[in-house]
Amino acid sequence: MKTVALEITSTGWITTFQDLGRRDTERRGVPTGGAADQHSAAVANLLVGNPRGATLIENLGGELALVPDADVLLAVTGAPARVTVGGGAVESWSPLVVPAGHEVRIQGDVSRGTRTYLAVNGALTAETLLGSAAPDARMGFGQAVVRGSCVLLDTEFRGFSRRLFEAPLFRLPVPVPRFDAGPWDIDVVPSHGIHTITGIREVIEEATYVVTNRSNHVGLRLDGPVLHPDSDTEIVSHGVPVGALQIPHADELIVLGRYRSLTAGYPIVGVASRASLSLLGQAGPGRELRFRWSDRESSLRRFARREAEVRALEHAATEAFGALGFMAPLPHTR
Amino acid sequence: MTTAQYGAITVEPFGDSAVMVTIPHADQAIRKSGIVAFRERFLAHRPHGVLDVVSGLESLLIEFDPLTTALQHVEYAARLLAAWAPAPSDGPDHLRTVRQFAIPVVFDDETGPDLASVADDMGLAPAEVVEAIAESSFTISLLGAAMAPMMDGLKVPRPVRRLAEPRTDVAPGAIMIAGTHAIIQPFPGPTGWRVVGRTPRTIVDISRPDPVSFGTGDIVRFVPVTRDEAAVLGPGFLLPVGESV
Repeated sequence: MKTVALEITSTGWITTFQDLGRRDTERRGVPTGGAADQHSAAVANLLVGNPRGATLIENLGGELALVPDADVLLAVTGAPARVTVGGGAVESWSPLVVPAGHEVRIQGDVSRGTRTYLAVNGALTAETLLGSAAPDARMGFGQAVVRGSCVLLDTEFRGFSRRLFEAPLFRLPVPVPRFDAGPWDIDVVPSHGIHTITGIREVIEEATYVVTNRSNHVGLRLDGPVLHPDSDTEIVSHGVPVGALQIPHADELIVLGRYRSLTAGYPIVGVASRASLSLLGQAGPGRELRFRWSDRESSLRRFARREAEVRALEHAATEAFGALGFMAPLPHTR
Repeated sequence: MTTAQYGAITVEPFGDSAVMVTIPHADQAIRKSGIVAFRERFLAHRPHGVLDVVSGLESLLIEFDPLTTALQHVEYAARLLAAWAPAPSDGPDHLRTVRQFAIPVVFDDETGPDLASVADDMGLAPAEVVEAIAESSFTISLLGAAMAPMMDGLKVPRPVRRLAEPRTDVAPGAIMIAGTHAIIQPFPGPTGWRVVGRTPRTIVDISRPDPVSFGTGDIVRFVPVTRDEAAVLGPGFLLPVGESV
């Protein structure tokens, strides 16, 4: 094991430590939080031989850049991005050896998706709150990665006897999502509130909604047609799943994200399918969304397919790294 | 722990990997105490594949991993646990320790900007509202946003109305009331609750491995102190004054 310093030479609009979020803390009032695009975060870690939930770096907008003081193995996933090492273009969604002293630069195409993820083989040193490095703004746990600082990494990686611009190191079965330029289709399972608003099913299924810049980690606020409940029955505050589609008093639709809290009495007409949540986590201002009603069974089938792809990658990566004499996934993270 | 009689529960699917449990009873007090009792029992006998729960005032959201378990299993387990006759001294939910808190609070015009209007609504003097709060014994029914302790047990002539226009920035430590509830604001933020006082103590400290010292079922009393006494007490981490089983 050795400790490597990653000098942060540039950060984006929001650059933080991140992971897959907190477990079993919602019962104590702390939302799970974690990477908005869970799929990209998990895949980034698997591509470098880490467990899915290892601490990584999430970047939104701008350009993230860093220089390691020893060779490191890293991977960039998330929104389509221009990634360079020492000025030369390299692939994202692939393991990548960055030699000591070479700068990695990552510039996401925000018109295609909001967030990129950078995972590095090993364990990044970051503070944790309730067992997770994910930020929680509400509790004052910022986790910002600061320009000019050095992030420390404990890693077993000792480099390969290869040159940077040779063919990629591995050919792994990587499930890369599509980040289409046009509207994104999101599957939604209807919930109780749909019966309290006559005609809302048809309105939502026929419209195209646009993500506004009032959106944040708590929820995406969408411009587009909505209807309101027929009667003004009081709804007592209650918990809601991530992905809930909520209609507030104003004429907008809100899709709640991983940092949602209890809802204060607005009708919830549906919940985005688990398989659609990662894509929603990439939707930024201006993004067009269309909603398709789905039953629970087909929604879960899609999620199971996606999970099978990630497991196939997990298996292939374990084999590949094992063959190269790597340790199994580092034990300290879940 | 309370063993409120609530009989049947309603279990409603909520998306593809959660269900919402409520208690269909005409009496709101039973709906509220029943769901607290159900949550404690459910967590003490948590079915495989259940990831987390979210407490509402009268509901419990149960989140599960849909590839590990299925909605039908979770629903069945929930109904089974609800129907299970309370068995004294059986199971960890009957053995938990109840902690007692005596929380120092400054009640004045500056720390409690809504004290006067609450008093008006009740037809009381502000000092009588403070007295009512100080004489109430609160039970923590759930931890709200950012681990804020949400308590039930306020003894006032009628339930306290919320603000029509929410406040945007309430200081940490603010004691707030609504209905028959009280809550303490752990971090600066907005609220629609009526702000009646402030404790100098630190309620939530994220630098500690466990950021809070309280949990559901614990008992809280508010102890009025003067500004000077509060300054002497200082912002130390809130700790219990006693425990009982």
